[in-house]
Amino acid sequence: MNTSLSRDGIGAAVADGRHARRMILPMLGGVIVAIYILAPFCWLLLTSFMHEQDALSVPPQWIPKNPTISNYMTFFDPAGTRAIVGSRAAEQTLPGMVNSLIAATGTAVLNLLLGTLAGYSLARFRFRGRGSLLGLYLGSRMLPGIALIVPLYLTIKNFGLLDHLSALIVTYVSFTLPFTIWLLKNYFQTIPRSLEEAAYMDGCSWLQMMWRVLLPAAFPGLIAAGMFAFMTAWNDYLFAVILTSTTAAKTLPVVVAGFATDVTTERTLMATSGVLAIIPPLVLAFLFQRLIVQGLTSGAVKD
Amino acid sequence: MRLVAIRRIGTTQASGIGYDRPLFAYFLNAPSLIAIFLLAGYPILYSAWISLHKYNLKRPKIFDFVGLGNYAYLLESPEFWSSLWITVQFTVLVVTVVIVLGVCVALLLHRPFRGRAILRTLILLPWAIPPVVNGLMWQWIYDSKIGALNGLLVSLGVISEYRGWLSDPTSALLALAFADVWNVLPLAVILLLAALQKIPEELYEAARVDGAGAFQTFWFVTFPWLAQTLLVVLILQTLSAIRAFDVIYVLTAGGPGTATTTLVWKTYLTTFENLDFGLGNAYAYAVSLITFGFALVYFRVLYRRGDFET
Repeated sequence: MNTSLSRDGIGAAVADGRHARRMILPMLGGVIVAIYILAPFCWLLLTSFMHEQDALSVPPQWIPKNPTISNYMTFFDPAGTRAIVGSRAAEQTLPGMVNSLIAATGTAVLNLLLGTLAGYSLARFRFRGRGSLLGLYLGSRMLPGIALIVPLYLTIKNFGLLDHLSALIVTYVSFTLPFTIWLLKNYFQTIPRSLEEAAYMDGCSWLQMMWRVLLPAAFPGLIAAGMFAFMTAWNDYLFAVILTSTTAAKTLPVVVAGFATDVTTERTLMATSGVLAIIPPLVLAFLFQRLIVQGLTSGAVKD
Repeated sequence: MRLVAIRRIGTTQASGIGYDRPLFAYFLNAPSLIAIFLLAGYPILYSAWISLHKYNLKRPKIFDFVGLGNYAYLLESPEFWSSLWITVQFTVLVVTVVIVLGVCVALLLHRPFRGRAILRTLILLPWAIPPVVNGLMWQWIYDSKIGALNGLLVSLGVISEYRGWLSDPTSALLALAFADVWNVLPLAVILLLAALQKIPEELYEAARVDGAGAFQTFWFVTFPWLAQTLLVVLILQTLSAIRAFDVIYVLTAGGPGTATTTLVWKTYLTTFENLDFGLGNAYAYAVSLITFGFALVYFRVLYRRGDFET
């Protein structure tokens, strides 16, 4: 493109036209992608602000004519006036959310704790069986959940831990740990050893070195790994529906699915519970977007 | 390689820090190994054991060893082959669309344009939506009486009357695949975008100087750099499509008839509806063997490329 050489009017106009066209196509593509991503979600979000009869109208109301927040209020006052229909699931939504938060956070924290220890040893130490250990970790990740659920159910039943959050957390940890170890191992390997050695020179013990030097340096990797563990636990339905039965341990996806299979429930209430189930992971994903990509770039994508 | 390792250990030992401490390494791995063995290793062995027995919770006292009887039954039952075929159709459909769309969206997000930063954040939205909620959302969109898809297509004049998208076998499978694609696309895009960002800019300049067209540039510059990440995405998406459960549970429950009854859904039905734990575990093991097969191929290819051990 020799546009810089031909500085006469026609050349500049052609260059401008080319530039504009080069910008218009990606922007058009961007708009299409944005619509593809947003349209289904907006439908859910708008339904959660509708009255039931508006949500059932044909043709559909794209924009609620009488927007309301009463659906959201129902969840905070399940015994209130609108509670006659679908009150059971509505009552369970907030406890379900608390259970989900505990399970997902517990899974993430335990993952980081165990994953840091194993990941560090794989990143730094040479020892017999290191390769097979890596293979074992990755291989266990390949097992589909449905293959583990029956024996897991029987085992947890034998321990008398059905309907306990602790059983759920331990299950999620075993399921997410391989990926955490892999990600953290790769991230630790990008941190120069000289940092550690300097800490030892200053008289740090191994634990002090980890806490004060290595872990702060590995922050993006820890966030990415923690997020993945959190999301897996938050999104899980299969294990939660089999291993829990009451509000003592029922997580949010189980409650939401309960709405879906109950024909008497109001559609707008279901939509609202769906929106509530999305908020925590969405906030985390948007908050840590850069760190997640950064952690992934060195973890999952190799040079 | 080995020489470097030995020299490295030598120097670190000289400076008083040992990286050659196998006992400590085993100690650090012990908690993870226990957690994974207890809740993955032990169940998978237990599962294999149950699959060799006649064991139905409706008659919990009977636990008879039948050898490979359940597997023989499986291979002879048309239900197994039908669910395998549906799994293949669903997986191929989802993976193909995710790869094609994923590459397109990643290429788009790699080019500078106004609003790109917003779109890069927005693309994460479906990732943060639990599959159960995703299934619920699409259930209303596809609804035959009040659904948004029907409303949209009728008002655009594409179809003349409302249709039951989930009650026709063909459109149910397509609808299910489309809903799953929407949910899993972001991960593919993020991974591919990260890979695109590592391609040196000089290569594109060289291609431009050589007068390469858009397609040639993609084929000779972008694609070779993307190949490894594409492989990772391909495998991750294949495994996740084979495992898809939540979205089927909420959206179609395997129906209409058996039109969306995949192997995983069939496993669930056999185990938790019929309470036939023996046969159910045989189904589960069949799914495991298939995913393990894929995993082996995956490691093989990565290992040959030298990407596995770093």
